[in-house]
Amino acid sequence: MHNQDFPQLASVESIKEGFESFGYICSDKIATAVFLAFQLRKPILVEGPPGVGKTELAKTTSQLLETPLIRLQCYEGLDEAKALYEWKYGKQLLYTQVLKEKLGDLLQGTHDLAESVERLHQFGDIFYSEEFLEPRPLLKAMQQERGAILLIDEVDKSDYEFESLLLEILSDYQISIPEIGTVKARTTPMVFLTSNNTRDLSDALKRRCLHLYIPFPTVELEERIIRSRVPDVDEKLRHQLVEFVHSLRQMDLKKIPAISETIDWARSLLLLHADKLDEELVRSTLNVLLKFEDDIDATDSELRQLIRDTTRD
Amino acid sequence: MPDSLVSFIQVLRTHDVRISPAETLDAMHVATTLGYSDRTLLRDGLGMTLAKTPEEEAIFLQCFDRFFDRQLADFSEEQQPDEQSAVEDNETDTASTPDQDSSESDTTSESSPLEEAAQSDPSLEELMQSELMQALVNNDRNALSLAMTKAGEAAGLQQIQMFTQKGQFTRKILDAMGEEQIRKSVIELERADSPALSELQRYRDILREQVRDHVESQYLLHAQGKTQQFMEDVLSKTRLSNIEHTYLHRVHDLVRKMAKKLAARHSHKRREYRRGQLNMPRTMRAGIANDGLMFDVHWRRTRKEKPQILAVCDVSGSVAAYAKFLLLFLYSLQDVLPRVRSFAFSSNLGEVSELFEQYPVEKAIELVNWKYGGATDYGTALTDFANLALDDINSNTTVIILGDARNNKGDPKLEIMQSIYQRSRQVIWLNPESRRAWATGDSEMQRYQSACHFAAECNNLKQLERIIDQLLKSTR
Repeated sequence: MHNQDFPQLASVESIKEGFESFGYICSDKIATAVFLAFQLRKPILVEGPPGVGKTELAKTTSQLLETPLIRLQCYEGLDEAKALYEWKYGKQLLYTQVLKEKLGDLLQGTHDLAESVERLHQFGDIFYSEEFLEPRPLLKAMQQERGAILLIDEVDKSDYEFESLLLEILSDYQISIPEIGTVKARTTPMVFLTSNNTRDLSDALKRRCLHLYIPFPTVELEERIIRSRVPDVDEKLRHQLVEFVHSLRQMDLKKIPAISETIDWARSLLLLHADKLDEELVRSTLNVLLKFEDDIDATDSELRQLIRDTTRD
Repeated sequence: MPDSLVSFIQVLRTHDVRISPAETLDAMHVATTLGYSDRTLLRDGLGMTLAKTPEEEAIFLQCFDRFFDRQLADFSEEQQPDEQSAVEDNETDTASTPDQDSSESDTTSESSPLEEAAQSDPSLEELMQSELMQALVNNDRNALSLAMTKAGEAAGLQQIQMFTQKGQFTRKILDAMGEEQIRKSVIELERADSPALSELQRYRDILREQVRDHVESQYLLHAQGKTQQFMEDVLSKTRLSNIEHTYLHRVHDLVRKMAKKLAARHSHKRREYRRGQLNMPRTMRAGIANDGLMFDVHWRRTRKEKPQILAVCDVSGSVAAYAKFLLLFLYSLQDVLPRVRSFAFSSNLGEVSELFEQYPVEKAIELVNWKYGGATDYGTALTDFANLALDDINSNTTVIILGDARNNKGDPKLEIMQSIYQRSRQVIWLNPESRRAWATGDSEMQRYQSACHFAAECNNLKQLERIIDQLLKSTR
């Protein structure tokens, strides 16, 4: 991807504005990361608690650049046949069957076995060419003419071995296929890796990436996010609900509510035509925010106090 | 600027942030792409390439502020308001810093007593014309800090290691900057009892203060990390019983680091292919795409279970000095490895895993000592252990025993050790006493050794780390 093709990425400011037009409100740091990733052609490793918009960042970037988003969801046992490429065995088989007769014509005039084999050798590895290659996400991203956004989601869930597989792609933007050779990216894709930190990634992988940690947003930023995502929520309610979520995050919970939960909650409050928080309302909608029964029980006793604190001003 | 970036990276390294040469290059690219004009932008950008974990990022931010303070803050940000205030509120702003109002006295009063004195004294006149005095009198922070940094570099300030060197470096820098002349003039003026004395003295004090600050900040930047590394190195090689109580918190950090390193090295799951056993369903499923021809052959594979570790620690009087650290290690190990159960005993034995989970380390160790401390009786302890955990010991279990095997001539109950030995994957005994003492007095070590897969002497952290590393390798 080149600078002149994407004026949206010319500066940190323009990235921020661009993101905002797609409803993704971000901090300077996030915009700086995207800017640097584009300028230096480096992948970004996005870390942070679940639900702070890691995946969303890649999606929004693809919207902003109007390039396709190619997504690879990682899981345990993911291997190169599912991530890189696979041979189209069926097609290979079919073709060999169909071409069987052709073989006779081809070998006409040869006298002995050695000569036939010699002649066959001249045709090379037809069945192991790009025609018979089934590209999987990583290879597909390399093949895009106009570049692509490659999202490798939850890379921490994949196996240790898979990480090593990624290294070649991340540093040189190329893939080695034993039967064909090296496939270089036509246009360097922009790569986002996300991680929930369920395990430590290897140093080799980290070294190749820009490291972006997205924490929970500040009250102010989160209010802006809600305003852009759920514009119909009344300003006072918006402030109260964001404050409330922030005070929940201070508590010792199994699963801390993230931005996506705040957005969901704002939507549900809107549906219920609420204009301010009260205990009854919060209690009945708390399951939108908290996903564990234990957490709901734990907050129950302090709910009144929390609501009083957030609705005071 | 690239130079200072490199030395900044050097500083980060001493603060335990691991940065490779490739990352240094990346940082250079980032700096050229972003430019040096926007400080926060540069900080964010560098942070992304240099710091790889949230902890490293915290260190990075701290170092960044300290390191670029002099170069950036003094140069661009602070100077302008200084000049402004000097121009705008000449009269009002008298209660500010000494160097500020000295500059004002220059602009407001016609001529200071110092200048008057200089007119009549050629040596003082010469001093006044020197770069240093000009910088001081004109409140030229740029020149001053530049001279200071230069003098610092010449004196090798970046090599500072110990806080005891601070005075020495301050002196060196002052000398290099030409403070001697000022000092001489001060003495002369003192002798002459001149009215200019107090002003010159003030300049000298400002200079000294500035240099002291500079040395202090450089010390924090360069030496803190080095001192820490040095301390850690020393601590890890000292006999555990000799480490003073005051260093306990440092040892704790060290042990934690060590335990984390070990856990990271050994925690990822291992899969093994069992060649020879065909996984028919998978092979057929994979073959569907190929017209039912089974191109891909899939083999059954088994996942190796993570090892379960049972750690038993003697906390009796005879090993009291070690017990603290061994417990500390147990505590950290339990923190980083998922399947560790800890036990403590002197005569009676009990499980302490929950205590470790519930309380912070110091409190937990105190509680364990209070609950289980006393006279040693390995016989009873082993009986208790067998009651508690023998049923859980299987071929995937590693049992670590930390103790000196001094049983006060009681019944060693060797048969229990033997049944543990037979059931478990391995039994490891770590003894703080040196191997020579094992067969002496009431030590049962030689007998117990017969029921261990591995027995070793272990009395400092380095040894402990090596042994545990081996242990984890072999339990894979």
